[in-house]
Amino acid sequence: MTGGRLVARFYLGLVLVFLYLPVAVMMLMAFNRSPLYELPFAFDTVWFHALAGNERLLQAGANSVMLAIANTVVATALGTLAALGLQRYEFRGKTALQLLLFPPITIPWLIIGTAMLIFFFWVGIGRGLHAMLLGHVALSLPYVIVVVGARLKGHGRALEDAAATLGATPGQSFWRVTLPVMAPGVVAAALFAFAVSFDQFVISYFLAPPGVSTLPVEIYSAIRKGFTPEINAISTIIILVSMGLMLLFARLYRFGGER
Amino acid sequence: MSTVQLSHAVKRFGAVAALDDVSVDFADGEFFGLLGPSGSGKTTLLRAVAGFVDLDAGEIRMDGAPVGDRPVHRREIGMVFQSYALFPHLTVRDNIGFGLAVRGRPRSEIDAEVKRMLALVQLSGLEARKPRQLSGGQQQRVALARALVTRPRVLLLDEPLGALDKRLRQEMQVELKRIQRTVGITTIFVTHDQEEALTLSDRIAILNEGRILQVGPPAEVYERPATSFAARFLGDANLLEGRVVAGGVEVAGVGVVRTAGRLPAVGELARLAIRPEKFAIGGANGTVVPPLNRIRGVVRHVVYSGTSITYQVEAGQEAISIIDMQEIRPRILTVFQQNRTAEPLAIGTAIELSWAPANTIVLAS
Amino acid sequence: MLLGPAYGWLAVTVLLPLAAMLYFSFLTVAPIGGRVAEPTLAQYAAFLDKDFYRVLTWRSLRLGFDVTLVSVLLGYPAALVLAKYVSGRWREALFLLVVLPFWSNALVRTFSWTMVLRDGGLLDRAIRVLVPDAEPLGLLFTYPAIVIGLVHAYLPYMILTCYISLQAVDDALIEAARSLGASGAQLFVRVVLPLSLPGLLGGVLLIFVPVIGSFMEPRILGGRTGIMLGTVIEDQFTAVFNWPLGAALSFIMLAIVLAIFALAAPFLRERLRGI
Repeated sequence: MTGGRLVARFYLGLVLVFLYLPVAVMMLMAFNRSPLYELPFAFDTVWFHALAGNERLLQAGANSVMLAIANTVVATALGTLAALGLQRYEFRGKTALQLLLFPPITIPWLIIGTAMLIFFFWVGIGRGLHAMLLGHVALSLPYVIVVVGARLKGHGRALEDAAATLGATPGQSFWRVTLPVMAPGVVAAALFAFAVSFDQFVISYFLAPPGVSTLPVEIYSAIRKGFTPEINAISTIIILVSMGLMLLFARLYRFGGER
Repeated sequence: MSTVQLSHAVKRFGAVAALDDVSVDFADGEFFGLLGPSGSGKTTLLRAVAGFVDLDAGEIRMDGAPVGDRPVHRREIGMVFQSYALFPHLTVRDNIGFGLAVRGRPRSEIDAEVKRMLALVQLSGLEARKPRQLSGGQQQRVALARALVTRPRVLLLDEPLGALDKRLRQEMQVELKRIQRTVGITTIFVTHDQEEALTLSDRIAILNEGRILQVGPPAEVYERPATSFAARFLGDANLLEGRVVAGGVEVAGVGVVRTAGRLPAVGELARLAIRPEKFAIGGANGTVVPPLNRIRGVVRHVVYSGTSITYQVEAGQEAISIIDMQEIRPRILTVFQQNRTAEPLAIGTAIELSWAPANTIVLAS
Repeated sequence: MLLGPAYGWLAVTVLLPLAAMLYFSFLTVAPIGGRVAEPTLAQYAAFLDKDFYRVLTWRSLRLGFDVTLVSVLLGYPAALVLAKYVSGRWREALFLLVVLPFWSNALVRTFSWTMVLRDGGLLDRAIRVLVPDAEPLGLLFTYPAIVIGLVHAYLPYMILTCYISLQAVDDALIEAARSLGASGAQLFVRVVLPLSLPGLLGGVLLIFVPVIGSFMEPRILGGRTGIMLGTVIEDQFTAVFNWPLGAALSFIMLAIVLAIFALAAPFLRERLRGI
């Protein structure tokens, strides 16, 4: 059925074009001299230069990066511990706890974001980067736990048992066996957490006070207000960063999955 | 090189007793096999000795001293897991040297010991490989080397050869025995493969449902099983039932079967077993020298296996009790013959089987 | 214990806020800044009274339905191709390519569609290549634009879940069916489709729910026509500052979401086991 195969692959190709076309266009336009997308295409990095002078965007970018780093550290640490706990102990209610991981991912972020806004304001935490950190970690935790958990499941208790029979104390066993074996999974989860925070829009949007914002929030306001081609430039950068991170993650996750 | 004693060990998981008052002594330097079906408690026993399982009752002693409150890492055992559990992020050298490294031995000593162990398991030269670069058989040897390098008091093996194919398994059985003899370490291993248990062990314990049914050297357990479970789990057995009379056991449709073992009192019920390889085949008119036991039958099925031939012979009928009803069924005997003549009997041939009274096993239950 | 910190964090940042929101939805005004609030059902009543909200909810549900339908129609075949018609290293690479956009910035991707759909944008230019002097399509700021944008956003996810369950369909099953005389169409309907249904349903569920709660895409791509329940809720918090009403509407949306999950739970249980 080679004819069918060809059609099949062609279709897949079409789907891929659909998925990448708009982004490709946007990236192209980021390098186009014209501010209004007039063709013919004239290569110019003028908009990237303009970025360097755009205080708001730069500040927002810095915020995004700092926030993402903080999120990565906290979420990876907490999530890894949780994954270890889930793997190590059998107890009643374990499935319930595993199910509890799902709300942040499955409930529309609009609802979570507005709920956080209400709660934080009421309780006195207010809005701001610290509030956003709380929210981002909450969103990242399920992903970290799942990614690290998958890595742990592949190797299970047998390795730790073996270390014990060889005379390793629980501390030695953790340091010499569990941690190294878990490492690729933890790094992958960290990358994931960074990307989740860096790209996060909804939660950041609701928790952003006037004057403080992250990159996605800033871009959103700019779009709503009217349009500057610098948005293209910064968007291109963001997309490349996100996709790059995800490619790294995929690489690590694959090789981590090998025995 | 130590002795291990288990006294009245009990372990329950929920309502199920994995170990039900188990007592057994492991002698210094012996290769001891724990044999039984899944769920018999053999793995629980092994893990209890290792320290992964805490007993609900009973004691474990090594060299006379109780070890029950000692955690796994201080029991000085070596263990080979069913999945080998080699550390994937370490080389063969670091895997084997792990036990020494956590004890803080200097690098030079570790390297020397690793070399020595690799020579022992005949894997010299593979220090720098990672586990995933090794074959199944090689991984198993590394696991063994790793367990032995710290000179433990006891070696524990959990279904060590289960993952290997038949040829490799046979080779490894010989290897394992050689290494154990060289090192002289007390070894306890778990298996559900009866042939493996017979081949490797100095002594075997048969377990079922948390209890030890019989302990003894392979020949003794095989030739003189105490229970019908042992008789059928360790090898095949043809079972006969009858009442004790003077001189033997009266089996319906067969006559008086002579035995050499001790029988219950006259009039009592007795259960007998005959191993398939103990039969001699004579023709229907053949001369058979008394005082052998004999039985007539017809060949119903032939299995040709190259080195041997197995026959299913229909020899009369027997009464089987199912709950409170009796059912009359044809009696099928399994007969095992070495392939000496290369001419299997045809189906439907009438034959006479004979066997020595000494080969009639009297079962206790 | 190991689990404490993580779950504690989740409790504080997710469960407590949700509880707080529930509380707020029963108040007259937000009890912040010294204002005193009274318990009331007025917020929920407003939902039931005004047609506006019901129409809106219906619109949002319809958007969810449209997006999910298109995603299934486009995504399932793509997953099928990937699972059964591509092999080896290509498969991994293509799979990665398909999934990658999903994990990049959603806002930026939505924005990039404005480039394509706006008057004089790529689409118009492409059409003009074939048919000169054609009128601008004017797709931007219409309902179809929102659908396109959302489909683009969630299509990789549909392909992902369908692919996972399609891939799990053992080739041996297909060969067995063939040997029993099944034609291509019968093979698909009787073997492949039923076995891949859990993945399909999982994908449907995990697209439908976020879509009905979306506000960013409708605003950017739909402009004034992009008013959904999500955007109205957003307004309550950022423009109108009627937090209790927003809370009530949010909870109604949450109730709808939970109802959907409850309905699909029996089918979901199969899928969860595979995680």
